[in-house]
Amino acid sequence: MKNNNLKRMATSVAIALIALLSLSAAYSGEEVMQAVYTRDSGNNMSATLVMTLTNSRGSTRERSIQQFRQNDAGGEKKIMFFLAPSDVKDTSFLSYSYSDGRSDDQWIYLPALKRTKRVAGDKKNESFMGSDFTYDDMGTRHPSADTHKVLRTEMIDGRKCLVVESIPKEAKPTYAKTLAWVVEDEWIGLKKEFYLPNGKVGKKLEISSYEKTDGVWVITDMTMSNMDKGSSTRIQMLDVSFNNDLKESVFTERQMKIGPRI
Amino acid sequence: MRHTKTKILIPLLVLLTITTLSLTARDMEFNGMLRDHIAYTFEDSEFAVHEQTLDLTLAGWGENTSIVVNPTIYMGDNQKLELGIREAYVDFYLEDADIRIGKQAIIWGEAEGAFITDLVSPRDMRSFILADFKEIRKGVPAIKVDYYKDAFTFEGIWVAKFIPTSMPDQSSMWAKQPGLPGANPAFLANAEFKLAMPEQTLHNSELFGKVSHFGSKANWALMGGYAFTDEPYISKVTPAASPAKTIIDQEHGRYIMGGGSLSTSVGPTVLRLEAAAYFNKPFTSMPSGPASAAVEKHHQVQSLAGLDWSMWGTQMSTQYILGFVHDHHDNLVDQGKLLKEVSHTFTFRVQKSFFADRLAAKLFTYVEADPLNALIRGSLAWTIEDGVVLEGGLDLFTGDSEGTFGSYKDNSLAWMALRWYF
Repeated sequence: MKNNNLKRMATSVAIALIALLSLSAAYSGEEVMQAVYTRDSGNNMSATLVMTLTNSRGSTRERSIQQFRQNDAGGEKKIMFFLAPSDVKDTSFLSYSYSDGRSDDQWIYLPALKRTKRVAGDKKNESFMGSDFTYDDMGTRHPSADTHKVLRTEMIDGRKCLVVESIPKEAKPTYAKTLAWVVEDEWIGLKKEFYLPNGKVGKKLEISSYEKTDGVWVITDMTMSNMDKGSSTRIQMLDVSFNNDLKESVFTERQMKIGPRI
Repeated sequence: MRHTKTKILIPLLVLLTITTLSLTARDMEFNGMLRDHIAYTFEDSEFAVHEQTLDLTLAGWGENTSIVVNPTIYMGDNQKLELGIREAYVDFYLEDADIRIGKQAIIWGEAEGAFITDLVSPRDMRSFILADFKEIRKGVPAIKVDYYKDAFTFEGIWVAKFIPTSMPDQSSMWAKQPGLPGANPAFLANAEFKLAMPEQTLHNSELFGKVSHFGSKANWALMGGYAFTDEPYISKVTPAASPAKTIIDQEHGRYIMGGGSLSTSVGPTVLRLEAAAYFNKPFTSMPSGPASAAVEKHHQVQSLAGLDWSMWGTQMSTQYILGFVHDHHDNLVDQGKLLKEVSHTFTFRVQKSFFADRLAAKLFTYVEADPLNALIRGSLAWTIEDGVVLEGGLDLFTGDSEGTFGSYKDNSLAWMALRWYF
């Protein structure tokens, strides 16, 4: 009996080792996250985001944003128009991200002031509109900002996922590490956990729905839960379309003032 | 006067109506804000302000046009309804240009809470500078053309009719008697003030132009204008000849403005710069006492350097504003006070949100260096639910009573407001 157990254990260890070796031979953590980063996301995208914020007492608030994104060799341009609630309506936010590693340029148009203001500082770790998402979560973090390691494979909803551990390179990161569940060969993340320096999960991102639109995989329903605060934010993407005939003039101060009528 | 108003109003209404009808009407929006505001002054221990404001916006879009009408209804302590239209304009969107025609508020520059190149729209100073920024800026009947070429915008503005700054009513706690420093109070109390407005002719319209660049490295603008002084100045004193009163004439005078502004990122901060020169700006001069008041023209410079940054989720900002009057002498008067050759003003802002943006705390301070006086504005805003905001704050005027802010020492107040956005 003991012998059988030992044999089984040895076999399991051998299989695990072979699996691990074959896995690491197949993809490194860097390769997986690079594949996620460079996954086809269309030349441009337009969508309406409905954001539902739920606090620890269960009360909810809703925000609605019309978003346009354009990618080119130089980086990414994104413009967001706040549609609701009424006190922030007509506010717009424009950002230019650069592939050469330069800091983002960001501007906000405040309709009450009728003025476009350049936004100070790196907002990457700040809350996006009071939600559980940060600006960093809303964008695409460059893989070179972290070191990555594939830990194991797991099945989620019948899909084989690579579990990748990413440790930030920055000196004082908000989260000590993240674990991301990435669907093999589709390179879309289905789950992400954000670990605090004390080893506990601080935030958890879960994907409820994703689909292929215009040939591009897109997450259409996701929820970020903040374990510390007991709050959560759900983002639903409506009317998503890719590779539209968007003019360069969409990503300008002029459009910020005009609003989302493209 | 009434005739001229009608002349301007009728074409404007016709234009608005035609555009409204020409809109497909499939895309109309109506929203607004209702606010109840109450303020308690410490000096008099009374609720000096209790007012209600309804601010509506009707917006409609056609294929290449849009229309905005922004009527306001205000009821103050005197329980009289004041109806107004802050803005009513039509936009025409062309391939490379936008044209806006109608009553519109136009904001220029990079300054926050200060007016350096931002001189197109006059101000509503009936509550000094305590009203919402949107409410401080008045609409002007104008045609504005913006032409876009790459990252450049060329803007031309023709203001058909001069609109002055709205000053507080003499019964208001913010009222200041237009004065002449050193004048015997009895001299002013018995005087009759006569304000001459520029005639509403084509000759008296205002012109402004701006070239701006919107880019990654920096946003900058160069601008100029041929304008009237938004606030009146004393132009002449006719001493009393018994039994008539002393006549103090006031007027608005012409001057030329040229300036520029710039904002750029410097590391994690945003640097803002703005400067303007006012050429041959008219001031009141008293070469030999108040009775000798006359108009004298001087060049004036206003400049600003500001820095914005964010730390631990807290937004912070500071500004330094330098004023200089060329060929200055000690008898120049501006807004009832002796005009300084050099003036220094600082502003500080700290702002942070808590509880997923439900609570917002803000502190904004103006400090005038000579004489030392300040306005300290602290406020908290609690979003009860989306679009319903309860606010409270303190506006403290302190320091030398000869200063811009110190002179309102008795008006330090605590306030509360409930806003409902729809």
